[in-house]
Formats: sequence, C-alpha cells, structure tokens
Amino acid sequence: MTGLRVTAVTSSYGRGVRVLDGLDLTVPDGELAAVLGPSGCGKTTLLRVIAGFAVPDAGEVVLGGRTVSGPGVHVPPERRGVGIVAQEGALFPHLSVARNVAFGLTGSGRAERRARTGEMLELVGLGGYGERMPHELSGGQQQRVALARALAPRPALVLLDEPFNALDSALRAGLRSDVRAALRAAGATALLVTHDQEEALSAADRVAVIRDGKVVQSGTPQELYARPADPWVASFVGDAVLLAATAEGDRATTALGSLALTAPASAPGEGTVVLRPEQLNLAPATEEAPARGRVTEVRYHGHDALILVDVPTAAAPVTVRTTGSAAVRAGDETGIRVTGPAVFHPKAG
Amino acid sequence: MSTHGSPSVRTPAAASRVAAGVRRAPLVLLLPATAAALLALLPLGYLGVRAMEHGWAHAWEIASEARTLELLGRSLGLAAIVVAACLVLGVSLAWLTVRTTLPGRRIWAVLATLPLAVPSYVAAFTWISAAPSLAGLPGAAITLTFACFPYVFLPVAAALRGIDPAQEEAARSLGGGALRTFVRVTLPQLRPAAAGGAILVALYVLSDFGSVSITRYDTFTRAIHSSYQASFDRTPAAVLGCVLVTMTVLLVLAENRTRGRAGHARTGRGSARPPVPLRLGRWTAPALAWCGAVSAAAVGFPLVTLGYWLTVGSSGFDPERLWSATVATVTVAAAGAAVTTVLALPVGVLSARHRGRAARLLEQSVWAGHAVPGITVGLALVFFSVRYAYPLYQELPLLIAAYVVLYLPVAVASARAAVLQSPPVLEEVARSLGRSPLRVLREITVPLAAPGIGAGAALTFVVIMKELPATLLLRPTGTDTLATRLWTETGAGAFAGAAPYAAVIVLLAAIPSYLLGRRS
Amino acid sequence: MPRPSVRRGAALAMSALLLPVLAACGGSQDDKKEKDAAKQGSDELVIYSGRNEELIDPILDKLEKATGTKVEVRYGDSAELAAQILEEGDRTKAGLFFSQDAGALGALSQAGMLSKLPQKSLDKVDAAFRGGQDDWVGVSGRSRVIAYNPEKTEKVPDSIHELTKPEWKGKVGYAPTNASFQAFVTGMRVLEGDEATLKWLKALKANGAKPYAKNGVVLDAVDSGEVSVGLINHYYWYEKVAEVGADKVNAKIHFLPGGDSGALINAAGVGVLKDGGQTEAAEKAVDYLLSEDAQKYFADVTKEYPLAAGVTSSVKDLPALDSLDAPEIDLGKLESLQETLEMLKEAGMV
Repeated sequence: MTGLRVTAVTSSYGRGVRVLDGLDLTVPDGELAAVLGPSGCGKTTLLRVIAGFAVPDAGEVVLGGRTVSGPGVHVPPERRGVGIVAQEGALFPHLSVARNVAFGLTGSGRAERRARTGEMLELVGLGGYGERMPHELSGGQQQRVALARALAPRPALVLLDEPFNALDSALRAGLRSDVRAALRAAGATALLVTHDQEEALSAADRVAVIRDGKVVQSGTPQELYARPADPWVASFVGDAVLLAATAEGDRATTALGSLALTAPASAPGEGTVVLRPEQLNLAPATEEAPARGRVTEVRYHGHDALILVDVPTAAAPVTVRTTGSAAVRAGDETGIRVTGPAVFHPKAG
Repeated sequence: MSTHGSPSVRTPAAASRVAAGVRRAPLVLLLPATAAALLALLPLGYLGVRAMEHGWAHAWEIASEARTLELLGRSLGLAAIVVAACLVLGVSLAWLTVRTTLPGRRIWAVLATLPLAVPSYVAAFTWISAAPSLAGLPGAAITLTFACFPYVFLPVAAALRGIDPAQEEAARSLGGGALRTFVRVTLPQLRPAAAGGAILVALYVLSDFGSVSITRYDTFTRAIHSSYQASFDRTPAAVLGCVLVTMTVLLVLAENRTRGRAGHARTGRGSARPPVPLRLGRWTAPALAWCGAVSAAAVGFPLVTLGYWLTVGSSGFDPERLWSATVATVTVAAAGAAVTTVLALPVGVLSARHRGRAARLLEQSVWAGHAVPGITVGLALVFFSVRYAYPLYQELPLLIAAYVVLYLPVAVASARAAVLQSPPVLEEVARSLGRSPLRVLREITVPLAAPGIGAGAALTFVVIMKELPATLLLRPTGTDTLATRLWTETGAGAFAGAAPYAAVIVLLAAIPSYLLGRRS
Repeated sequence: MPRPSVRRGAALAMSALLLPVLAACGGSQDDKKEKDAAKQGSDELVIYSGRNEELIDPILDKLEKATGTKVEVRYGDSAELAAQILEEGDRTKAGLFFSQDAGALGALSQAGMLSKLPQKSLDKVDAAFRGGQDDWVGVSGRSRVIAYNPEKTEKVPDSIHELTKPEWKGKVGYAPTNASFQAFVTGMRVLEGDEATLKWLKALKANGAKPYAKNGVVLDAVDSGEVSVGLINHYYWYEKVAEVGADKVNAKIHFLPGGDSGALINAAGVGVLKDGGQTEAAEKAVDYLLSEDAQKYFADVTKEYPLAAGVTSSVKDLPALDSLDAPEIDLGKLESLQETLEMLKEAGMV
C-alpha cells in the first residue's frame, strides 16, 4: 500500500504566484522520504497542504489509500492522522513531557495511554523524563519528545519540518540516526522536509528535489548523487564540477580533456558534464597530465580538503577533493587527472 | 475510505478564498467574533438612524458648521497633546523600570499602573479644586495625561521584556551610546506596542466627557452632551457622534499600518536571555525624581485630596449604602469583564492568527463603540432593546452589553497580544494530534495566553467600575454603583459625602491595577 | 493539573456568559407580570427623576406611605432622562417624569408623550407655573440670582445687561451647559427677542465670562474669589449655607429687581406619561406632590419656593415668592430649548 501520494498539486498565493506547480510525490509505506529544496521552493507549502493547513487549488493528496485533499474534499488536519515534528520541537510549554506525548492519545484508556507514552519515551531514549517540563530539556531532547509525541497516536504519516535545524552540528548526526532508527522501529511512513542536502542524503531512503514548486528529480540518495537529472540538481546535491563539453558517443571533450560518459549521448553536440570533486585528483604538473592549472585556494576541512584550481580553458575554477593534508599551496602549478565517468547534459533547446 | 461525499468542482470564488498559506478561519472563531463585532456596531447603526432622521442635507449642515470643525480641532489637538505626553511618560517609566538598575523598580512599576484606579473625573476635580487657574486646556491635558499614561506604560513594558537583548548589545558594540541604541534599535521595536497604547489613549481622550467638563475645556464630546440637553432633537448629537466614529476609524486604520509585518512571535526556543540592566550611575537621582514626580502627580495628589475630603466630611454617609453600591459595582464589573473577555477572545485570536480581510474587518469594527461617548452607547442600546429586546431593557444583561460595546477593544488588544506571544505552530501540532479548532483553543491557545487574557480582564474590570453615563441610562432601576452614587452625591453638592464612594472606587480598582503592575 | 483547571475555567466563563441571559429571561417574565399588574391596579409607579436622589428620596418615601403606592425611581439627568423617554417611545417604563426644569417637560409635551392632568391638580398651581397644554405642572420654584463675592466687588449689578460692560471683564462665572442657565436664556429670548439675546450672549462671551460645569461650581468659584459674580439658582446658596455654615460662605446673593430677565423663576415639575400604563398611580402622586405636606418639604429642605397649597417658605433670609420682581413669562414657552441651544452654539458657548 502507498503511504503518501501527492498528485498534480497546485497552490498559489493571492495574485497567481504559483508556489506549487503540479507537484507529484509518492512515499511508499514505511519509508522515510526527504523533500529537498532551497528556501522558497514551496516545501513549506507542500507540508501544509499534506497536513491539511492549506487547501491546494488543484490536485490530490492520498494518505494510506484515503483521499484527504482533492476536488471537493478537504479532511481537516485533526482527522488526517498526520504527525508533525516542527522545527524547534514546538512542545506545549504548559504540559509535562508525558502529557505532551499523551496529547494525541485520545479515545484510549488511562492505563493504555500511560503504557504507550512510556513506550514512546523509551523509543526515543528518554525513559524516565516524563515528569519534566519542556524548558528543563536540551534542544535535542525536546526534538526527541516531539518525535515521540508525533508517533504516539500511530499516525499514517509523520512530517518532519527541518527538525534538526536549530541544533549544534555535533548533535545533529547522532540525533538524525536516532530519529531514523525510531521511525524504523515504529514502522512509520515519514516525510522529512529540509534544505540541507547532507541531512536529506544521510537520513532518507528516498529524496525528492524540489525547485519552483515542482519535483525535478526523485530517487535514492545514491542515484541523486551519481546521476543528477540536470546541472542545477548536481550542484544543489553535493559539490559539483560543471564543465562545458562537446559530446560524441560515450566520450566528451572538456577543459579537463576527453572524459568517459556514464551513458552515450543521445546525439552529438554541446552541453555540460558533471563531475564530483572526488573524481578529480591532483597530478604532477608534467606534460603527461591531461589538464593543468594554477591553485587559487586551498580549503582545509580536516578529514579532507578542497582545492580550487584555475584551468585556463574552463569558465570557472574546478574543485578537487583530496584526502589528508594537501601537498599544494595557492599559486602552485598542478596537473589534474579525472577518474570515473562524467554525467552529460545536452544544452537545453 | 474517503470521508467526504462525491467529489465536486470548487467554484472559483471558493478557490480564491483559500490561497496558499492562508488558513481558513474556523467557524468556531468566526461566529462569536462576528457576534461581538455586530454588537459593537450597534451604536453606529443607531447614530445612522438618528443622524439621517431629517435627511442628508440637514446632517451635512450640522457636520460642516464652523463650530463643529472648531470643536473637532480642539478635540484632536487635546488628543495629540495627551498622546505625546503619555508616550513620554509611559515609555520613559517602562524603560526605567524594565531595563535599568533603578532602585525599587517593582514598586515604581506598580505605581505607574495605579493611576488606572483613579477615575479621570475624580482626578480632574482634585486638580481644578486645588488650582482653579488650570481650567481649560492645561487642566484637561494634565488630568488626561496622568489618567491615561498607564495605557502606554503597560504594553511598552511588556514589549521591552520581550525584545532580545542581543540586538541592543550588538548596537552598543558597534559604538552606539546607550541613548543612541535606545533611539535607533529599541524604540523602533517598541512601536507596535506604543502605537497600541497610544490609540487607546487617543480614543479615551476623544470620548471622555467627565474630565473635560470639569476642567471646562470645550471639546467634541461636550458638544454632544450639550446637544442631548436639547432633548427633543437628537439629530445634532447623532451627527457629531458619526463624525467621532469617522475619526476613530481613521485613527484605528493608522494604527494598523504601524503594525506592518512586525508583531509575530519570537521564533527562538525557550525564553530570551534576561537583559543585563543598564547601570544608571549618576543618573539614578534624576531618574528617581522623575518617577517620584509622576507618581506623586498621578496617584499621590488625588489620593491625598480624597483623604482630605474624607476627614472634613460633614454630611455623614450611610455605610449600608456604600456596601450595597460596592457589591453592585463588583458584580456588574466582574460580569462585564467576564463577558467582554470571552467575546474579545475569538476576535483577538482571529486578528493574531488570521491575516485575511474578514479578520481585519472584524477586529476594526470592535473599535466602533469605543470612541463614542457613553451616553450615546447608552441611548443606542435603549433604542434597540426597546424595539427588539424589550424584556432585556433595564436589566443587567443590557448593561453588560453596553460595557462590551464600550470596552471590547481593551480586552481584544490584550487577547491579541497574549496570543501573539506563543508561536502558531503549537496550535498546528495540536490539530495534527487530533484536536478540533475549539479544543485547540481551549487546551493550547487559551492556557498559553491566559496571563495576558487575565490582564485584559483585570483592565476591563477597572474601566467598567469607573463608567458612569451608560450605567446611569441602562442600570436596572434601583441599582446603584459606586460611580452613580458618586454622581448623585456630587450632584447634591456634597463633595465630602462623595469622597467615600470615590475612595472605594480607587481602592477596588487598585487591586487589579496592582496585579497588572506587578506583572510588568 | 492544567487540564481540569482549563475545563473549570471554560465552564466558569460559559456560565458567566449565560447566567445574565438566563436571569434576564426569568426576570423579564416576572417583570412583565408586574407591569401588567401595575397597569390594572394602581399600586405601583415608576418615576424617572431628573432631581437628585439625595433631595428627593425622603419625600418619595412619604409619598409611598401617603398614597399606598409602591414607587420605583430611576435617577438621572433631566435632559438625558427626557432623551431616554423619547427613545423608549410608546414602550416607556416611566409612569411619572419628575424634571429639574420646565424645558425637559416641555420637550416631552411637544412630542405628545404627556397626558393632560386632572383639572383639580392644575387648579392648585398658578397658571404661570404650568405647561401650556395642561400636561405638566410645577411643583417647586427656583429663582435665578446673581451670586457675588463682597471681597471682590463693592457694586452688585441690578441687571444681567450690566455684565457685558468692561468693568466685569473676566469676572463673571456661568454654567452654559446647565439646564437652568439655558432655561434663563430661553426666557430672555421670549422676553427680549432672539436678536437682543444673541447680542447679549456674544457680548458676555466676548467680555471673558468663565464657563463652568454647573451652578454649584459657579457658586464655589464666586466663593473662592475666582470670579466676582456668578449666575446661579437661589437655592444653591441656601444649601451651601446650610451645609458649611453661614460664616464660612463668602458669597452673597442678589435677587434682581425690575422684572429683569436674570430674575426668571423657573419650576421643577412633573408630567404623567401617556404610555406608561400607570396613569392612576401617577395622578395620585402628582396630587401628593402638590399637597401641603410635600410643599413644606420643598420649602424647608430643598430651599425652593413652594408653588401650591398656600404654603410659604420659612427659610431664613429668603424673600417671599410674591415679593420677587420676576419677569412675567409663560413657562410653557421655555420648550424652545432647541433654538436656545442653537443660539448658545452660535455664540460659541456650548
């Protein structure tokens, strides 16, 4: 069964400014999907449409086989069974942790409610915190309670709205995998909305990239990274090296020399190839190197470094990722070698 | 599976109403808010009926008389002076009590709220009897300023507490002095709160009759009252009332513009770091002198005068009467404050949470009754109840309705500000957890806004206690409030006899005022 | 325990909202019965009184005992009560209107809301103190006087026309919004014509006369020397003397001679409402107010002039009514208050 299906949803502000423009999205049951896009792309509106806080102009939202938004149909938020984990937890400040978690457990007996609350708090690793008040918790703990609260009524779908935004980066990775584990354990279908590609790629089973109110590409994180649908997606999802190219068969000619392509070009012609910085390696600046350039900047990150190299024939400096300490400094001459195939996108039109 | 009936095509009108991101206002809010707005619009309907009784031309003739314009100018001039003075007093005291090391800050905050407890007609009387030469503009301006500045002080003090100190610190680290920082960074953020207070002050001045009549400054309201003295032609009073309502609408629209896009809840989690109070240093003494002078003039002086009257009183007073008037006053004020607060809540929530045109219109219409003198509101309710709700006429509910019409904006402003304090996402989360809009209101919105709503109720209680003209017209026959007794005693020329009633009004009103001040 | 308290709060709020309504529904039915009963019998009467409760309540208690009528009183300002009765129209709750002055009664008379009084009541009072339509009757009289402060002025004006002369510049106090003052202006219009009156009003204002809220305040201003002379009703002075003692009152009063407009004698009076449904009780009350008992009360307590039953005032220093040189005027004509107001407006006084 499908967890969530959004079909051709259109939504606009006042005078015809389209925020969502025929958007399609499907999340299989029990999966964690991510919606990734820059700010202003419409992800917040999408979330509000799915939760029932905004009514789309057209299109359909189907949750667990039940149409919740569609022509003539609008199920109010409280009857959708959609749990929400908001940006900063949004715990009810006047209720204890246990009462927060039990908030959605209406219609069940007191004992059952208590059991479920305990179970949910255990699930997010906060057993025994029930009597605390929200302001007595750290940011990460608040997010865990918010997740427990959203999961407690066994919702058809959990929406996570940039849930790790307000946290220190050190906390993020840990919390991210804990949330993922908790969602998995609860068997919940979930949709994570984020502008952070690292978060989307590391947390989700499936990622949909949104731009201008449309899904431009949807797939597993690996697919998205390795085969971006266009140069924009390529540079939005991870670091990318974009080079003007002339393709012929399964090779293309670029400023870095002739490169192998992931798939043969449908027709010979001009276009752009996408490479990932880790596909580029520094080489001695000798005659044999396929391309040469001058190092303009070294960005040291500890576990790796990004080196910007100005290649005379390329429009912009190319980025090379090296592991360990970089052996070059700004101003050095260097050669560049490319490994692995490049993705070719023919010029539009 | 699908819960609703067969799919149907939505009409274009319906589709445009539900633009992206705009939540539809739930009926559970819209219906009571509309009821409240309609109630508030009753005086306007009455004024329309009476003003047009002799046709447009006649009405226009009255409205365009040179005297009318002159009085309007005088009223607006007085309002401008009082608003400016209240802003100076209210903002300076709020800043001193919230943001500096002023000794006894909490006591000064309470003292800055207490003038609310002194009816402006009592204050006017004490000033004029002490210094008859103040009669006219100076007396009216002084009396009204000291009576009204808490309306600015309270919201501004609350806003000052909400401002993130990091911004001020950033400004000071960039080399701005304390004063410069205050003017450039703090003051602009106080604008919505100050404007909200200023509009209450302006409307108070426009609709006040008691103090301008005692200080003998001719204003629009005095003209309206004299017009009623003509008894058989209510048209001139009604036309003047319409002009006053028009002024109110313009003022409220102007105030709404100052809100702009600001005013939404702080996004940060938890509470903002408490600011480090500014050290006053050698400015401590002048600051104390300033606070002391304001408190002495606004609270000390009227109280001492009242005390003097109490001691010289030759005409004895009847403690039983005083007691029954006290009970009646507390009863009507409590019932009035409760009903006003309950009706203000949906309007306040709508205005805080829904930016649609309907919400704005509803919020603006509650102001309609606020600038109209009490006597006009009273006569409007006589007019409607005699015709359409005769059993309610001269019964408590009608009096309560008059209080609602008169003071709804006071409670709406508090409710709105209180609701804005908590982020809307909490309500959305609650709905996603299966709560209907009504239950969200009850379980999330109201409990979170409760302190602010309570403050609004306290303020409403205080202003109702002091109300006279509408109470005289609409009270159940035989019921006396402290204000009507005060009126009777002063009418009989027995100022000493009036003093106990004035004193009890001040004492009773001081309790909620004190609580309001403590909060700030 | 946030939730139960919230629930309790909501319940409280709801009951606060509903109780008055419920009470009203209950109350209104009783009220209707009461009113019906009142209409049939004659043992209940609602009086709208523009006269002050402190002054009037004792005599109304006596009225209850004397006539066996249960009296309910609504106090207010005469003009505002008249406006209220006009708004109530044929559903008025008032059986009797007791007005501070003839003007408000005239207004109701002109609107046709008062019923004609029995001849035997009318006959008790001099025609000078009755309504032109025989639908209201004066109960007590008050004379306009000039109050003066002997410390501030040696000369006391004998006519209001002197007050516009330069020697009184800035020294006169008056209460332009007060009904008694307006009745005096109306009287002046009747006596001297509109043109002369308007001229006088404009001259008075131009002469820097100081407006006050009411007669009592004018007297206080004279007493304190804030102004030298003031236009008031006579009994304010006698009341003040009674309250604080003659030695503590600096001000004196002067009854103007020669039928001057400023010596007008106005009447506080009563009228029976046509649609109040309490005519019988109301007429009984009118009779009582004109009785010797009641007239004595007005003379002794409110220091006014009794107008009926042959009673004369016994107040010390109060000149007898028939010794006054008041202008001859039909008080019924004091109804034209509207024109007076327009004139006051034109003169820039209200």
